[in-house]
Amino acid sequence: MKKINLQKALAPAALIALYVFFAIFGKNFFDVYTLKTILETSYYVGFMAFGVTFVIISGGIDLSLGANMMCSALLGCYVYAKHGWPLWAGLLLCVAFGTFVGFLNGVMIAKFKLPPFIATLGTQMATLGLGAIITNVQTQRYPTVGTADGWFKDVFYRCNIGSIKGFPIGAVYLVIAFVLSLVLLNCTKFGHYVYAIGSNEEAARLSGVKTDRYKILIYTICGLFCALAGIFYAATYTTVIPGTGNGLEMNGITAVIIGGTSMAGGSGSMVGTLIGVLIMSVLKTGLPSIGLQSQWQTFITGMVVIGAVLFDMARVRAARKAK
Amino acid sequence: MKKLLTIVLALVCLTAMLSAAVAEGTMYIPVMAKGFQHQYWQAVYQGAQAAAKDYGVEIYFDGPASETNIDEQVTMLKNEMAKNPAAIALAALSTDSVMTELQECVEKGIPVIGFDSGVPNAPEGSIYATAATNNENAAALAAEKMYEHEGFAEMIAAATPESPVVIAVISQEAVSSSIVGRTTGFVNRMKALCEAVTTVSVTGHDIWKDEKDGAAVVIHVQISATTEATDVATASNAVLNMDNLKAVFLSNEGAVTGFLAATADGSELADGGRYDGLMVAGFDAGASQKNAVRNGWFIGSVTQDPYMIGYYSVELAVKAAKGEAVSDIDTGAQWYDASNIDDEMIAMLVYD
Repeated sequence: MKKINLQKALAPAALIALYVFFAIFGKNFFDVYTLKTILETSYYVGFMAFGVTFVIISGGIDLSLGANMMCSALLGCYVYAKHGWPLWAGLLLCVAFGTFVGFLNGVMIAKFKLPPFIATLGTQMATLGLGAIITNVQTQRYPTVGTADGWFKDVFYRCNIGSIKGFPIGAVYLVIAFVLSLVLLNCTKFGHYVYAIGSNEEAARLSGVKTDRYKILIYTICGLFCALAGIFYAATYTTVIPGTGNGLEMNGITAVIIGGTSMAGGSGSMVGTLIGVLIMSVLKTGLPSIGLQSQWQTFITGMVVIGAVLFDMARVRAARKAK
Repeated sequence: MKKLLTIVLALVCLTAMLSAAVAEGTMYIPVMAKGFQHQYWQAVYQGAQAAAKDYGVEIYFDGPASETNIDEQVTMLKNEMAKNPAAIALAALSTDSVMTELQECVEKGIPVIGFDSGVPNAPEGSIYATAATNNENAAALAAEKMYEHEGFAEMIAAATPESPVVIAVISQEAVSSSIVGRTTGFVNRMKALCEAVTTVSVTGHDIWKDEKDGAAVVIHVQISATTEATDVATASNAVLNMDNLKAVFLSNEGAVTGFLAATADGSELADGGRYDGLMVAGFDAGASQKNAVRNGWFIGSVTQDPYMIGYYSVELAVKAAKGEAVSDIDTGAQWYDASNIDDEMIAMLVYD
């Protein structure tokens, strides 16, 4: 039993090992500012990853994460900048739109029995196109600090609390979102059913779980998280370009996989996802600190994914033996 | 276990201090481009490296995989700022996205040098200077080279108001500052050169129009309806149908592409071709333009000098970090034709 627990600590141990490694060999990596950068790089990836964790544990996949995130963010900014909506209303629309796309995914998968891969591939391309159509392929810019509606940055990105300047306020939301997801997955009937559907959907249905309804709910929640990711993407990077976003879903999905959640469904954890997100961010900030350019980051992240899954498979095998 | 932890922590602290000490030794300057893999940025990189060697500083050159990956560039910039650099050279994908970071640079006293397209509309005091191509000067170089071309000056001297020599400029639009600058640069210099011998009239687009009676030389500015290659080709055909057309200047790769489409990839400019004898000068590069230059169908083309952009951006950064006064630098342009297109220095500048 003790052995399994030790192996569960592998992902956190890897995170700490990476951090220590870069702290030793990186240039000024061991620094509060870098820590802030790591957190800020985690915002949008974190929200996407929390949302898609539900989906992957339930045995599905959502490829529309990135495109949906960008489309929601584009829409929110478009009504604000071009149609004079108040910014808060634009942000609400952003959240509503992303959630609706998630709902649509759920309906297509649960009711029309489309394979999740196909359904979300479809919405990925549709939202990618829609974002460009709505904005007439115009790049959208969220308000920056010091301009009208600059509160956007203070509320979602960085703020000054007393003597602390540039406090990464987004991290607070990330923590809240994490705790909520954790509770939702581990302490509610809904979370229980997510695992049940992922392990054996038919068995879950026969034992009285309204699987269709729960699957729709799972994808809708994922859509909501995508929209929130959109807000934090906009808060961190300001500029949202139509036609971008596909590919970014892989950051979220990769974080979930590194965190030890099985693509086959039925097993996984929210804590693992959080650690996966942080490992990705530590790599993103750490590799440049030892002088490796972006192409190396992509390559090494790929290696980490394979390594993480291999370790995880070994862990599962060991767990079976222990039983 | 506790012992191990203490040792690790001690090591971490030690190296942190050590690396800080190293950083004080040589000046560290990150150069953040808009790209990395593209040949253009590789030339910038080589120039930056050369300057780093000359000034004995350490540089770190990086850029996002594509010009739409804004998040990548912002993270890069943050990573570099964490290293407390002496100065930063930046070609921003979007100024808005790096506003907070630029403001922080001002507060921390890190000088930022813009290069390539620079950092337009940056916060007050953050950008110390910019190293970029002056488009007017670059296009003026094309006018000078054209005027020096064999037979051109004689042709101008012999021109009469009865059958005026026509020199055309084709631009894909008249909005962006780079294209307008190039068009203006060429028109003004060519006008000045020709006016030394005869009367010059400028026709075509309103911005440049300056019509005169009895002119022996007409400079005609043709602006394409849209930047689509088909529309530029249409504009090119309109120009090619003009009587007594002797020379054409194409202000960017888009204009060149459209013009080549109208002249069977430029082959109609060859000896014995339909437009044999027409003197054409281009701007920028690209495989088809290089082909036209190499075959002698174009008398030559002007290219920006990304190598010098890289060199000057580091030079300015070093000077700014030392507290010297710096100001914007024109990184210049290079003329290339069939004779020098394969020279090492030129080949590096002209991308495919």
